[in-house]
Amino acid sequence: MTENVYLPKLARIASIKDEVVGARAIKTFQVEFPDGDMFEHECGQCAMISVFGKGEMMISIASSPLVKDYKQFSIMRVGKVTTAIHAMKVGDVIGVRGPYGNKFPVNDWKGKNLVFIGGGCGLAPIWPIIQTAVAQRSDFANITVFYGGRSSRDIMYRAELEKLRGVADVHLSVDQAEEGWEGYCGFVPANVMSTGVAPDNAIAITCGPPIMIKYVIQNLKGLGFADEQIYTTIENKMKCGIGKCGRCNVGKDYVCVSGPVYSWAQLKDLPQEY
Amino acid sequence: MSSILKKTDLGAWAAALEAEVFAPALADGVWAYQPVAPGANDGGVALTHPNTARPPKNFAFPQREVLYTFEQLKGQAPKLTETLPNPAPVVVMGVRPCDGRGAPRNDMVFTGAFDDPYYQSRRAKTAYVGLACNTPPSPNCFCKAVGGSPSSKEGLDVQLTDLGDRYHVVAVTPRGEELIEAGGKLFAEAGAADEKESQRLHSEAAKCEQRTFGDLAAAAPALKKNFDSEMWQSLAKACIGCGICTFLCPTCHCFDISDEVTGQSPMRGERVRTWDNCQFPDFTMHSSGHNPRETLGARLRQRVNHKFLYFVENNGTQQCTGCGRCISFCPVGIDIVAVLDRMIQA
Repeated sequence: MTENVYLPKLARIASIKDEVVGARAIKTFQVEFPDGDMFEHECGQCAMISVFGKGEMMISIASSPLVKDYKQFSIMRVGKVTTAIHAMKVGDVIGVRGPYGNKFPVNDWKGKNLVFIGGGCGLAPIWPIIQTAVAQRSDFANITVFYGGRSSRDIMYRAELEKLRGVADVHLSVDQAEEGWEGYCGFVPANVMSTGVAPDNAIAITCGPPIMIKYVIQNLKGLGFADEQIYTTIENKMKCGIGKCGRCNVGKDYVCVSGPVYSWAQLKDLPQEY
Repeated sequence: MSSILKKTDLGAWAAALEAEVFAPALADGVWAYQPVAPGANDGGVALTHPNTARPPKNFAFPQREVLYTFEQLKGQAPKLTETLPNPAPVVVMGVRPCDGRGAPRNDMVFTGAFDDPYYQSRRAKTAYVGLACNTPPSPNCFCKAVGGSPSSKEGLDVQLTDLGDRYHVVAVTPRGEELIEAGGKLFAEAGAADEKESQRLHSEAAKCEQRTFGDLAAAAPALKKNFDSEMWQSLAKACIGCGICTFLCPTCHCFDISDEVTGQSPMRGERVRTWDNCQFPDFTMHSSGHNPRETLGARLRQRVNHKFLYFVENNGTQQCTGCGRCISFCPVGIDIVAVLDRMIQA
C-alpha cells in the first residue's frame, strides 16, 4: 500500500499579512514545515489546506518554487474554511497536502516577453511565475504586469508590485475613479486594450474572476495573440485533489489533475463548466 | 473445470468460508445485501432476488467512511490519527452481472496516478459471487445495450448459474478458486450435461428482449455533438434534483470530504468521506456563489456525459452497466435509455 494521499502534513503559520481588509479581505500566510516535510512544487500548482474541525480547501501556492523555506498562500475570506483560517494566528498549525495539478510551462518561455494580467485574488496563482521570472530576470525578455482591484483598497501585494517597477512594466488599475489614484481607472481587460501589448514573441498569463478572464482573452485575441500564446489557470470546487471526487470535472478533465493551468488553445475545447 | 453445488448447500458453503458473507434478503419489501448468519443452513441463503435495490458498491466504497480523526487542545498542534480500514474478508453472494461489471469500473477510478488506500484495502478483501440472469429481465434492464450480457462474468470471482435444484459454478479468478476450494466436498465436478445446460441457459438469456438506445458506439459522438442542445433543459424539466439516480448507481463514485466535530476541549472530530451527488447544486458551487453547472439540465447532461462520453474518453469503456436502477427509482420518470436514444436520433 502506498502512502495515504488524504493525510495532510502539519505546517505552522510563520507569518500573516493583511493584503486587503473589509468585505473582500485577503490575507497572505507563509507556512513552515517540520524538517523534511516540505514538498517541492512548480509554478501554478495548488495544495489542499486543512483547518481541522472546519474542513479542507484547494488554494494555489503563491510562492516561487525557488523559495525553499516556506510556502505562501494568499487567501480571500469567502466561505467556512477561509473564514476560519483568517481567524488564525502566527504559530497556529494547519494541514497541507499536495502539490496538486499541472504547471505553467515556464521553462518553455525563456527568451520571451511575459505579459501577466491579474484581477482581485487572481494575482496569487500567477505570482510564483512573476517571482521566478524576476529572480531569473536575464532568462526572459520584457516583463509586463497588469493588475487591478475593485478599488485601491482591494490591491494585493501592493508594496511588492511597487518594487517590481524597477524590473518590470507595471500597470495597476481600479474599477472606478477615486481620489489620489494615479493609475488606470476602469476594468483590467480595458487597461490591457488601451495600453496595448504586442503579441510578438510574447506569452500572456491571466487569472482573475471568470468574467475578467473572458474579456481579457477576447481582448488579447483582438491584439493579435494566438490561442497558444494565452495561458490561464481556472478553479473549480474540489474535495480530493486527486481526480476522484468528481467535483472539478469539466469534460474529460479533472481540473485538480489535468489543470488548473490551460492554454486557451486547450481550454476552448472544454465545456465552459468552470 | 467447473462444479455443481446443490442449492440446499449454499448456506453450508457460506458457513465454510472464512469471511463475512452477505447475500440478498427481503427486508420490509426491499431486497438488500444482508449478513448471512453463521451456521445458516439450507434455506438460510436462497438467491431468489431479481436484483437488490442498492448495488454492492458500498463493500469497497462505504457511504460514509472516516479518513482520519483529529484532536486539538487549545493553543497546541492538532494530533491526527489515521483510520485506514483493515477489514476481514468479505464475500458478496448473488451479485447480478450488471453489478459485477460495476466493480472494475470503480477500480479504474480509485487506482491509477493516485491510489486510494481506503478503497483499495476494502476492495482487496471483497469477493463477488455472481448469479447469472436466466429469468426474464426486469422492465428497465439494458445490460446488452452497454456491452454486457445476462451471463457476463466481468468483475466477478465466481459465477453461479441456476440449474433448478443446483448451481453450475465457475471460478473466474484465483480468489474464486479459493472460495470453491473452501467449500470442499459441497462441490461436485460438473458433468458435460450440466455444462451444456448452463451454456444453453446463457444463450437463451442472451436472446431476451431488453430496452436499448441502439448503437453504443454512437452515444459518445452524439453527446459531444449535442452538448449545447436545448434538449437537456427540456429533458430535465421534471427533475427534482433528488439524486437517487446516482446514489443507486453501481458506478457513481463522486464524494464529499467534510469535518464532523464530535467534542470540545480538546476539540476533536473526524474527517469523513461521504457519497455525494452531481445532481445537487452545491456539488459544484464555488464559495463565491458562482456555479459552473447552475441548471438541472446542465446537471443531467453531466451525469449522462460522464458515463457515456468523458469516462469513455478516459478509460475506453462506458461507466454504465445497464442495471436500470436510475430509471426504476426516478420519481419523475427520467430515463437514461430514452435520453440516449433522443441524443443519438437528434
